[in-house]
Parts: sequence; structure tokens; C-alpha cells
Amino acid sequence: MDLSWTVDRAGDVSLVRCRLRNGDAGPRRVRIESRFDAPVLPPRRAGVPVDGWDADGVTLRIGPEERHGFGFAVPARPVEPPVEIAEIDPVGPDEPAGGVVGSSDDEPGESAVATALRDLGDHRPPRAAVDGERVTGEDNGDCDADEPESAGPDAVDDWFAAVEARVDRAEQLTDADVATATDAVADAGGVDALADLDERVAADAERLRAVSERAAALAERAAATDAPIEALERLA
Amino acid sequence: MILAVAGGKGGVGKTTLAYNVAAALDAVAVDADLGMADLPGGRGPDLHDVLAGRADPTEIVRAGPVDVAPCGRTLAGARACDLSALGDAIAAIERERGVVVLDCPAGRRADAGVPLAVADACLLVVSPRAFALADAIRTRELARELDAGLVGCAVNRVTEEPPTEAVADALGAPAAVIPADPRVGRSVAAERPVVDAAPDSDAAGAIQNLAERVPR
Repeated sequence: MDLSWTVDRAGDVSLVRCRLRNGDAGPRRVRIESRFDAPVLPPRRAGVPVDGWDADGVTLRIGPEERHGFGFAVPARPVEPPVEIAEIDPVGPDEPAGGVVGSSDDEPGESAVATALRDLGDHRPPRAAVDGERVTGEDNGDCDADEPESAGPDAVDDWFAAVEARVDRAEQLTDADVATATDAVADAGGVDALADLDERVAADAERLRAVSERAAALAERAAATDAPIEALERLA
Repeated sequence: MILAVAGGKGGVGKTTLAYNVAAALDAVAVDADLGMADLPGGRGPDLHDVLAGRADPTEIVRAGPVDVAPCGRTLAGARACDLSALGDAIAAIERERGVVVLDCPAGRRADAGVPLAVADACLLVVSPRAFALADAIRTRELARELDAGLVGCAVNRVTEEPPTEAVADALGAPAAVIPADPRVGRSVAAERPVVDAAPDSDAAGAIQNLAERVPR
């Protein structure tokens, strides 16, 4: 088993990068422990430590002639050597040869949540979508499940109005003579206010095209439906 | 008892089923669809606030024909949610109120997985269309990985004889048929669960049957 490493220092934190190679003929379970006098800050996914890591180190499964790279941070000054192999066990034939070893001492409910957070895609809406969201003073409150569009048209109208204002301004500035351009810039409250106009209008165009395609597709689907509500009410 | 109502696909009627099953179980319906809340909202703190550490889980439960823990409607609120706090929040509501029904989001991202991980059991909703079944099967796999036992599945909004057996075979759980009934569709917005509004209807009977499969 070959273990090599590099240690970088970033402020009060040491960043440890390790490479492990299994020169043995069979798969092995290897326990690697930190020699720092501080808890390991393991790699995380969605805020949850990656499988196999704990405060002292990591347990890995590694197949014959395989290499595995990993790393961690630790809030302490570098020590030499930073890591050591604490244990090597042969892996049973019914266990998968590669990958990491799940920590089995987790409380089951907790670990299922951790598994979901770690293994599934991030749930958070992209920041771009959030920044584009119209911020109202009131956090909805009465958005009715029956009329989800009740909040919709207003927001859509406002968005269209904002886009229209930007496009108007961009049109005024397109091939404008000096006087028109000066007026437009004065209207906008200075050149700084127009700094990202080009980008925003380009983004508007892209979004408008996407909305238009989606709206057309939805309109087609809406026109094709024929829900037999009356018949159902009679039967109910 | 924490029951997740899931289904993978959007628009199959998860929210409606969750609301009506919660009524039949006399449970609190929690809107766990962080990005696209559908259960009745209300003034005051909601699940976004709880998952951002701004509110207590039990204070967001709003009394009604079915008690509801509403969810915020903003993307910014959804983005600020710490999903790892969902387990404790739901457990707190369960301790106080007994049975909790989670209305889960569509998809297979963490916001769909964590409620399944938090739940003791799950109920899958499919529409009678084949592609909805595909999503439901994926969600069933996810629920299995996350230890949420499947108590049943609902074939929702059925207008003609559905392939119930095929659905039950594919999902490996008894399938209940919920006939299309406008009173079910309206129940969430009107806050009139069909088991109260039309207790003798076929839809109410089907929902009662589903509720009876939920271990308590």
C-alpha cells in the first residue's frame, strides 16, 4: 500500500491531499487517520460529510492495483507525516471492491436524510431564477391553489413592462445621434445606470424566446384538451 | 406516523391526495414542496421560515378543516431552506400532533428525497398515463433506498377503467383507484376535503381505503 501526500497551508488551516495505491493482489479496506491534533474537516456534499469520513480520518475500499485520491482540511499547523495508515483489511468477496465505506453507527433516520442530501441533486432554485423573481412586500399569503395564476399575470405584466423599458432604452441608443443618446443617458440617470444594459437586453431576448416557445406549446396543449366536467358532475 | 405522498411526476394530484388523505387520517398536512407550494397558504410563518431557522415548527400549523403547515411561495425562500433541518421540524410536529402527511415535490432532487427519508411510509400517486407510472417507479426506488416503506398507490383522476393490476404489479403495492370527481379537484382550494363534503362518494371511499392502509 503506497500512501503519498502534499500539505498546503491556507491561513490557520492545513489542506492535505493524499494519493493511495493498492499494490496488493486483492481488494483492501484501508483506514487512514489524520495525525493532526485537531478534528478533520472532511469533504462534504450538500453540507453532509462524504461517506466514510469522520473526525479522525477516512475508511476506503480500494481494488488491486487501483489508485485513489482524496483530501481534507484541518484547522491546525502542518505536521509530518500528516496521515498514516491505521489498518488494512482484506475485503470480503461479497462486498463491493471500490469506493468508500459507509459509517454504520449513524442513527438510521439521520443517515437516510444525509444520504438523500448527499446523493441527490441540489434542490435550490438557481440564483439567476431567484434574482429574476419579482420581490413583493407580501410573501404571497393568499395564493390560492385553485387560482395559481392569480399572482401570475401581474408578475408577468410587470416583467414585460420592465423588459419593454429596457428594450425601449436600448432602441433609443441603437444607431443614435449624439443628442438622442445624451437624452437617453440623462433619462437613465447616467452612463453607470446603463452599464449592463446590453447584457440584460440579451438575457431578456433569450428569456422572451423561451417564454414564447413555452407559451405556444402550452396554448396548443390547452386547445387540445376537452375535460368532461359537466358529464362528471352529473355522474358524481 | 409520518406519511409522504409522492409520485415523481408533477400534476398527478399529489397535493390533492395528501390533503384528502390527511383529512381521513385526521392528520396535519405539511406542504413540503419548497419550490412550488400548493396547499393553502396563510399569513404568518411557514415551512420556509422553519427551515431557515426563523420559526418554530409547531407554530406554523394553521387550523382548518384539515390542519395545514403551509410553505412559502418564493424562490428566494426555497433557496434559503436548509433541508437537513426538515427531519427535526417534522418530528416536532409529529410529537405534538400525531400523524403527519407530507405533500412532496415532483422530481428526484434532494427536496423530493429528504421528505421520503424523513417519512416512515409513503404513498405513491400516479395518473392513469404510462409516463406517470415511469416516474412513480423511479420514486418507489428512491423511497426504497431511503427506507420509506410503500403502503399503497393511488391511481388518480380515473375516467375509464385503468390498468390497476399493471400499476400494482409495477409498483409492488396495492393500487387504489380514485375516480375523477370535481369535488376532489376543488377540495384543496375550497378547503373542503371530500371525505367531509361527499362522504358517500366513490372518491371518498377510495381515500378512506387508502388511509386505512396507513399503519398507526
